[in-house]
Amino acid sequence: MLIELISETLIQLDIEAKSPEEAIRQAAYPLVQEGMIEERYVDGIIKALNNFGPYFVLLPHVALPHTRAEEGAVKNAIGISTLKNPVNFGNESNDPVKYLFTLSATENGSHLAALASLAELFEDESFFKLLENAKSSKEIMEYIKKNERSGK
Amino acid sequence: MYKALVACRAGMGSSILLKIKVDQVIRENNFPIETEHGNLDSLIGYNGDLIVTMEDLTEELSGKVKYAVGIRNIVDKVEIKHKLEEYLESIK
Repeated sequence: MLIELISETLIQLDIEAKSPEEAIRQAAYPLVQEGMIEERYVDGIIKALNNFGPYFVLLPHVALPHTRAEEGAVKNAIGISTLKNPVNFGNESNDPVKYLFTLSATENGSHLAALASLAELFEDESFFKLLENAKSSKEIMEYIKKNERSGK
Repeated sequence: MYKALVACRAGMGSSILLKIKVDQVIRENNFPIETEHGNLDSLIGYNGDLIVTMEDLTEELSGKVKYAVGIRNIVDKVEIKHKLEEYLESIK
């Protein structure tokens, strides 16, 4: 379940960043704090970004920073961060990035069902409206919980 | 049935999301395509018919694989449908 991979402490609203690197480091910070990823995992994402470009900007305004499990993914988890000011990542079709879903995906495949729920959320306009307007992490948790329960 | 490898750079994130959407489109349209998922390493020696990946990777793949489909927006089913149709058209 998606809800099992997210927690209020992994959600941050209106973070401030001026560059993709800054945005990724800030978005990943709670996952490091909570022991979901090692710090080198974040360095791995930045390195891959510099080598390959913004390969994880997957839909308009949304980035899913992640890298290979062996680079320091400890537990399956998803962090959600919204940016106060959108940042261009260099992905023509989907820039500017407003929302970062930092993904810690271990070799253990238990996050696969959660990703299916996430894919549904990505098609849900009211979810993005909520991200835009939410005043607290709790609102976002509640929304995800409600949606997943209703099997929407 | 044509065989497609859905792949991305890191293996367990984007490619899974992409596979979920591609499978939905295939099911909804009854396309004769079956998918499996992998990362760039799985490409070496892959003997299926096409690769489905994010658009930024397709340039690198040209000449190395039989056919590469590059998707820009992972949840845009219209885009995915259109690009799979182009593939099916190309092999007629």
